[in-house]
Amino acid sequence: MLFLTEILGAEVIDVRQHRTGAVRDLTVRVQEPYPVVTGLVVSRRGQLVIPWSEVRTFAAATREVALRATREDIERQSADPNAIWLARDVMDKQVVDTDGRRVVRVNDLQLVEGGGSLLLVGADIGIRGILRRLGLEKLAKSAARLLGRDLPMVLVSWEVVAPLGSAPDLEHPVSDDAIRLRISGSRIAKLHPADIADIVEDLGAKERKTIFDTLTEDIAADTLEEMELADQVSVIEHMDAERASEILEEMPPDEVADILTELPREQADRLLSLMEKEEAQDVKELLAYEEDTAGGLMTTEYVAVPERLTAQQCIDELRRMEPNAESIYYVFVIDAEEHLRGVLSLRDLIVAQPDTLISSIMIRDVITVHLEDGVKEVAAVLSKYNLLAVPVVDDAFRIQGLVTVDDALDAVLPESIKRKLPKAR
Amino acid sequence: MTRLAVRLRRFRRLFILLAVIGPGLITTNAGNDAGAIATYSQAGAEFGYQMLWILALITVSLAVVNEMSARMGVVTGKGLADLIRERFGVRGTTLAMVLLLVANAVTTMAEFAGVAAALELFHVPKYASVPLVAIAIWLLITRGSYPVVERVLLSIGVVYLAYIVSGIVSHPDWGEVIRSTLVPHPVPSLNYFLLAIGLIGTTIAPWMLFYLQSSVAEKGIPNEQLPYSRVDAISGAIFADVVAFFIIVAAAVALYGKLDAATLANMQAADYARALEPVVGSAAFILFGIGLFGASLLSGGVVPLSTAYTVTEAFGWERGVGHRMADAPAFFGIFTGLIVIGCLAVLIPGVPLVSLILLSQEINGLILAAILVFMMVLVNDRRIMGRYVNGRLINTIAWATVALLVSLIGLLLAFSIPGSPLSG
Repeated sequence: MLFLTEILGAEVIDVRQHRTGAVRDLTVRVQEPYPVVTGLVVSRRGQLVIPWSEVRTFAAATREVALRATREDIERQSADPNAIWLARDVMDKQVVDTDGRRVVRVNDLQLVEGGGSLLLVGADIGIRGILRRLGLEKLAKSAARLLGRDLPMVLVSWEVVAPLGSAPDLEHPVSDDAIRLRISGSRIAKLHPADIADIVEDLGAKERKTIFDTLTEDIAADTLEEMELADQVSVIEHMDAERASEILEEMPPDEVADILTELPREQADRLLSLMEKEEAQDVKELLAYEEDTAGGLMTTEYVAVPERLTAQQCIDELRRMEPNAESIYYVFVIDAEEHLRGVLSLRDLIVAQPDTLISSIMIRDVITVHLEDGVKEVAAVLSKYNLLAVPVVDDAFRIQGLVTVDDALDAVLPESIKRKLPKAR
Repeated sequence: MTRLAVRLRRFRRLFILLAVIGPGLITTNAGNDAGAIATYSQAGAEFGYQMLWILALITVSLAVVNEMSARMGVVTGKGLADLIRERFGVRGTTLAMVLLLVANAVTTMAEFAGVAAALELFHVPKYASVPLVAIAIWLLITRGSYPVVERVLLSIGVVYLAYIVSGIVSHPDWGEVIRSTLVPHPVPSLNYFLLAIGLIGTTIAPWMLFYLQSSVAEKGIPNEQLPYSRVDAISGAIFADVVAFFIIVAAAVALYGKLDAATLANMQAADYARALEPVVGSAAFILFGIGLFGASLLSGGVVPLSTAYTVTEAFGWERGVGHRMADAPAFFGIFTGLIVIGCLAVLIPGVPLVSLILLSQEINGLILAAILVFMMVLVNDRRIMGRYVNGRLINTIAWATVALLVSLIGLLLAFSIPGSPLSG
């Protein structure tokens, strides 16, 4: 991942190591969903535009652009007067949302190399962009770290930006050259992990890695969760093991197990050994089950409480556990040997008198599936009883995990249908 | 029938003029704030009519700069900070915004100090007057739509007529006044020179350039009505300087040669009103007091408003008095913040107001030079202005003005920086 400001001002060097000038701007051709960079505007005698195909490499560290051609060859090129120049026509422009409300300005532009070309994938509309251009980004980041805070990157995906117009004509200067979004301003607070996932899925393995390297672990984990299994596997495969294990720790054990199943045995073992013990243990248990059974599908993140508690104690216990959103709907009641005795809904708990024993209000006939039940059976149970999740038990009726309705849906929907579903905005 | 049509067309023109007029008059009137009134009074009291010719020259400069601002606002539909950010990027804009925010905050304090001083002339304690005025300004701008806000601000401008009246009732020698205005006769003295620079500095302030263009842009005036907007901008410059003219005249008649240099150096706007009373009678005292109150009231509203426009433009946040507060939180936040700061600075004892105001004048001078150069680049950029770029004549006058202002500002800074060879 690259920001426009990182390439502006970089030294351009031709194939014979002659200096040709500094990068003043990039030109783009508008195409959906991401505009593609077509040329390099060099700040030397007027407006020299070098086609992007003549660019061999850009080294961010030394800020040097290396060309394939000689200086003389390039000087014969002429600029397209109608091209859009990123620094001149897009950078710093007003961003307005669907209601025509002014939101912010374009503080920087995010570029990603993919399939041999450079794509404009997003706009930085946060304070990080401003700090970067003031040369203060690193300083501010360490200052934030000292205060124990994270300086979040506020990006908006170019997919939600309406197509850019052509260059303004001189007779009628445009008073409205704003960058228009296709969504409402309140929704662009941040590039959602699902949006990052969409961008990443369109890219090659190498580019994916560059994007993931810039994300924090929890955002990387959220992004990974939004991706298809095959893509998840390829991302983890190409990532350095240490970092991969840190990202996997942030993910639900069932997803991790799915990914690890697809990886070569050796690599999966290595990742497991790098992960924290507790997380690794959950994953290992899941790995023991066949992929297309309830055991393979389930997550081990569920809420279970001992049957001797009162309603008040039970609520206190939930507060202490802070269960995640997926598992809060059902509270399972177990005995000392983890046998599943009943189930409570949050509603039952809250309306009960505080000193009522939960064993007296729980539902004893729990709908369950067995570890070895196939995914279709699990889906059928969820559908038949209108459940958000169903507990998974072993032969002795001990609770082992939980299959949520969205995991089950994912498993039974054929791949071909999933591809046809519209991308949700 | 044709006569009716002609008459109707005339009415239509008048109607458009009335609709377009406002920003220029409000901006330049708000520029005649407590500090400016003190400077004009001092010019008259210390040098009589001998500075009037300089005022005439300043009027030309102000009119030219105002016209450019209005033209940029009409043609681009954007504020000056919008254009500066889009053309010159983050670095220059951020620096300018930080300086402007500081300078405008201090200027707001000075306006509220003016409100306090003016009403103390009429024995209203500042602990009552300042909070009440602050709340009134805040309610007007946060609750009113743009047309309402503009009309109220315009009508506050009527109080400046008080100064014109007080100039006339002081019975000057008109032949002498006219001769002094048209024939340059510089006085070879350091004080004269310094006061001349001060006169220029109070007439053009950076926040005025930003406010004029933003409010023209907010009105959404179409290109065809540019001539009317020009009339507004230029007549604003003329009206403001006519007011200045009569303040100098009134002070010259009443006080020239009667006060020693040490007394003059420490006099504020309200002190001149007091000094006028025994000489020209209580009518002039009351008129000066009313004028000072109106001037401080107007500027106390316009300076925070200008700041809110400018900063939100630079960073692209929603803005404009026509919005609800929840839709433009930064805009109303900056506006409210400045009013609160201005108000508290006057009410809390021990705030070094005088030295803060001097500091803000220096910062203003510094940014004004940069902003004027930015403006010249922008107004001559065909990508931005299309066929409405400056003509050759306007460019010559404008660059001459800029060069003069920049060099005078440079001198002013050299004089005011302690330890420099020029500073007293």
